[in-house]
Amino acid sequence: MANTDEKLQKIAKDLLEGGEVSLVIGYTKGSIPQRMRPVFITKAQDASRLSFSCYAVQDLAVFLKKPEVKKFGKIGIVVKGCDEKAINALIQEYQLLRDDIKIIGMECNGIIRQNLADKGEAAVSETTVYDKCLICNEHTPVLYDYLVPSENQKLNLSGNIKPYAKIEELDSMSAEDKSAFWKKEFDKCLKCYACRQACPLCYCSRCIVEKNMPQWIDTNIEETGNAQWNLIRAYHLSGRCIGCGECERACPVNIPLMLINEKMARDTYSLFGNKSGLDINAKPVFGVFSESDFNEFIK
Amino acid sequence: MSRIGVFVCWCGSNIAGTVDVAKITEEAKKVPGVVTAVDYKYMCSDPGQNSLRNMIREQNLTGVVLAACSPHMHENTFRKAAVKEGLNPYFVEIANIREQVSWVHEDKERATQKAIDLMKMMVEKVKRDKPIEDVRVPLNKRALVIGGGISGIQAALDIASGGVEVLLVEKEPSIGGRMIQLDETFPTLDCSSCIMTPKMVEVNQNPNIKLYTYSEVEDVSGYIGNFKVKIRKKTKSVIEKDCTGCGECWNVCPMHKNVKSEFNMNLSERTAIYVPFPQAVPLVPVLDRSACLHFKKGGKCVKCYEACGPKCIDFDMKDEIVEETVGAIVAATGYDLMDNSIYGEYGYGKYKDVVSGLQFERLLSASGPTEGVIKRPSDGTTPQTIVFIQCVGSRDPEKGVPYCSKVCCMYTAKHAKLFAHKVHGSQSYVFYIDIRATSKGYEEFVRGVMEQDGAIYLRGRVSKIYEDGGKLIVKGADTLSGNQVEIAADMVVLATGVIPKNGAGKVAQMLGISYDKYGFFTESHPKLRPAESSTAGIFLAGMAQGPRDIPESVVSGSAAASKILGLFSKNEYEVEGTIASVNEATCVACFYCQRVCGFNAIGPKEIKDRSGKIIKVVANVNPGLCTGCGACVNACFSKSIDVKGFTDDQIYAEIRSLAI
Repeated sequence: MANTDEKLQKIAKDLLEGGEVSLVIGYTKGSIPQRMRPVFITKAQDASRLSFSCYAVQDLAVFLKKPEVKKFGKIGIVVKGCDEKAINALIQEYQLLRDDIKIIGMECNGIIRQNLADKGEAAVSETTVYDKCLICNEHTPVLYDYLVPSENQKLNLSGNIKPYAKIEELDSMSAEDKSAFWKKEFDKCLKCYACRQACPLCYCSRCIVEKNMPQWIDTNIEETGNAQWNLIRAYHLSGRCIGCGECERACPVNIPLMLINEKMARDTYSLFGNKSGLDINAKPVFGVFSESDFNEFIK
Repeated sequence: MSRIGVFVCWCGSNIAGTVDVAKITEEAKKVPGVVTAVDYKYMCSDPGQNSLRNMIREQNLTGVVLAACSPHMHENTFRKAAVKEGLNPYFVEIANIREQVSWVHEDKERATQKAIDLMKMMVEKVKRDKPIEDVRVPLNKRALVIGGGISGIQAALDIASGGVEVLLVEKEPSIGGRMIQLDETFPTLDCSSCIMTPKMVEVNQNPNIKLYTYSEVEDVSGYIGNFKVKIRKKTKSVIEKDCTGCGECWNVCPMHKNVKSEFNMNLSERTAIYVPFPQAVPLVPVLDRSACLHFKKGGKCVKCYEACGPKCIDFDMKDEIVEETVGAIVAATGYDLMDNSIYGEYGYGKYKDVVSGLQFERLLSASGPTEGVIKRPSDGTTPQTIVFIQCVGSRDPEKGVPYCSKVCCMYTAKHAKLFAHKVHGSQSYVFYIDIRATSKGYEEFVRGVMEQDGAIYLRGRVSKIYEDGGKLIVKGADTLSGNQVEIAADMVVLATGVIPKNGAGKVAQMLGISYDKYGFFTESHPKLRPAESSTAGIFLAGMAQGPRDIPESVVSGSAAASKILGLFSKNEYEVEGTIASVNEATCVACFYCQRVCGFNAIGPKEIKDRSGKIIKVVANVNPGLCTGCGACVNACFSKSIDVKGFTDDQIYAEIRSLAI
């Protein structure tokens, strides 16, 4: 572990010293060992604060949309494979220039669920990591400028644990039961929009919920407004969500948002063969106008 | 405060017969913001329009709603009337209670309720209307014609005669298109080249026409008044300005038996350096490098270069890209024939003496491979019996196309006539489904072929053709007599169906115009705007739109030309102001709008501060290209695009008006 941190710190130090970036966003050790928190390093001598471990849960790409971060210009960022896909999507959607970012990719073998970590869990295993880690194909980020290899063992999958098992269960339910399930979940929503704030791809400076001429989404925390918000949030991320799970983690009332995100990711893959965030040159699946579309009307 | 006037039109009994117009008027008066509501028998009539104008003036109306016919009919009429009273034209809204209500419903009570709903929606819309200025686009008064067939030639000549510069781009080495391949033309039997070559020469000599032969339009961007066009001049390997067209080069070319002549529909050969036919315009050969010994054998053969007096053969010549700016475009890409070989039972491609209609034209033509003497391709003998089969591919939804190719009935009759004239004592048989001879002199012509020239018309289809002892045995049905017939023929001519030119779809996509499922370009309106494409500034002519004969092609070329001359009679073009507009304060420049725009109308715009520093990039709509379709509005996550006159706010208000 120490070795990983040293390598990471060296990369950051060199980047800042060489003037290639003016800010490195990374993780540092929190006040308790099982928590890591984001850190913003602007001076080379502070690079020693950087660290990485199986507790580095947050998707730091979320900061790239912030104006106060953007003003630094060229930025270095520490990312896991899942988080890195958000950077690719941001580049795809013109929110970021490839030349403006130095990606310090961390090889990652899984992140321990925060609730378990808080109870002292220290072993990375299929029963302790997030579901997203179980379906992860990007333990090594798909795009990086620097790669810090992991010293941990590869995640061992027995196949006995089904990630996002609830999706199949919901798929088999009747429309009424499904609706009842989600009604109950959305009922909890407080409209705090933490899901939006935590999402690296919710970067609009004015969100549709803030549009009031006309008021697209009812602002009250009643049934209609809650359903509208949660569904529109989901649709605005369909074909875009990279599955980092930050929305669900940020939700104070534990709405299982990843069930929606993962279901949509599966659907866009099966219908359009598209997975988000894998290629900075690919067109977003819902941003394509093609004369060869199988739908006749488009011609 | 809104002061809205509602005007309910009876349209005689068209609306009033099915809808209670008095009730709509009464209901309109109850809608907040409506200060006056009246009904009238014909709102579009002069008294109707005057009552509208008087009411706007007397009641100080801020907006009007007409519950009347489709906006396609009279929106303009009422807008003009409103403008005369000082109202912005976009404060006139139409509730279509004719096409959408009275013509499609029978239950008067419910139809009336629907009409009231539509009226209320439009009142809510007009309340939220904002003045919209039409967009003015400056015009580059030059035109591009794509395709040098008869319709393209006609369009170019007509535009040029209006004093406008025209670029005529033709893919082949010579202009002339399909028509110049024809022998004599129905129903008057004037020889195609005799009537066409003067036009071709005129094209070459007209100072307003810039001719690009052996060239292809490679890219078109921009919009009406300002199209940027890239033309690829394919390598002719001949310096055009020095060439005299003397023919020494092609006379000495050793590759005279190696390439099938495209012009003669593969019935003869041509040399590697060639002009497609003697009357070619321009009379400048092109060197087909794929067939030329010089290029195949490492530069050894230079016979044409040696023979050439002015030494205008240049083996090192390269393709050249020319960039031009034009204000309007005519797409006249023409047609091809369907592939006959899909009908295995007719043996096309297997039996040499089964030929297509265009091949038979070449056999008839004095400049053709047989110099106008009809000879069998197999053995060169003169056929005595020819079977003509109509509707090969046409009107056959199973194997071919469902539409009628329109010209085949007439050219088959013409073939039969010319055959009778050239080979005395010969006999022709024509298998047909129906005979469609509907233009001036056509029916008489077909009658003449049957009665004077003795062609035997058999209503029915051919099931099989096979060769037996040098004859083609044609087995078919004569459905009128109910008999099976078997004819021993010397030749069979297939009246092959017409399809759009190979690559027409690509051209349409490049131009951004719509085309139907067969690939024919579609008109902006099939009846009332037959010369216009779906994209402003791009016009259509000839067979690229669908099957048509020569007179119709000429007419369509002239129609496109007159549209362009009309357009160019002004210095600016007015585009309806109902186009997309971006809220620059909230746009985050994700450019999903740009990705989904089918008209390339959206691009980036930099917003700079006082010192000139870029502080933001936002999406920007090009008013010349935007059609107001609204695809971008859907794509925008932050709802930062609206179509003027159809804002989200208005649509919401319309929907809400139904809920209360």
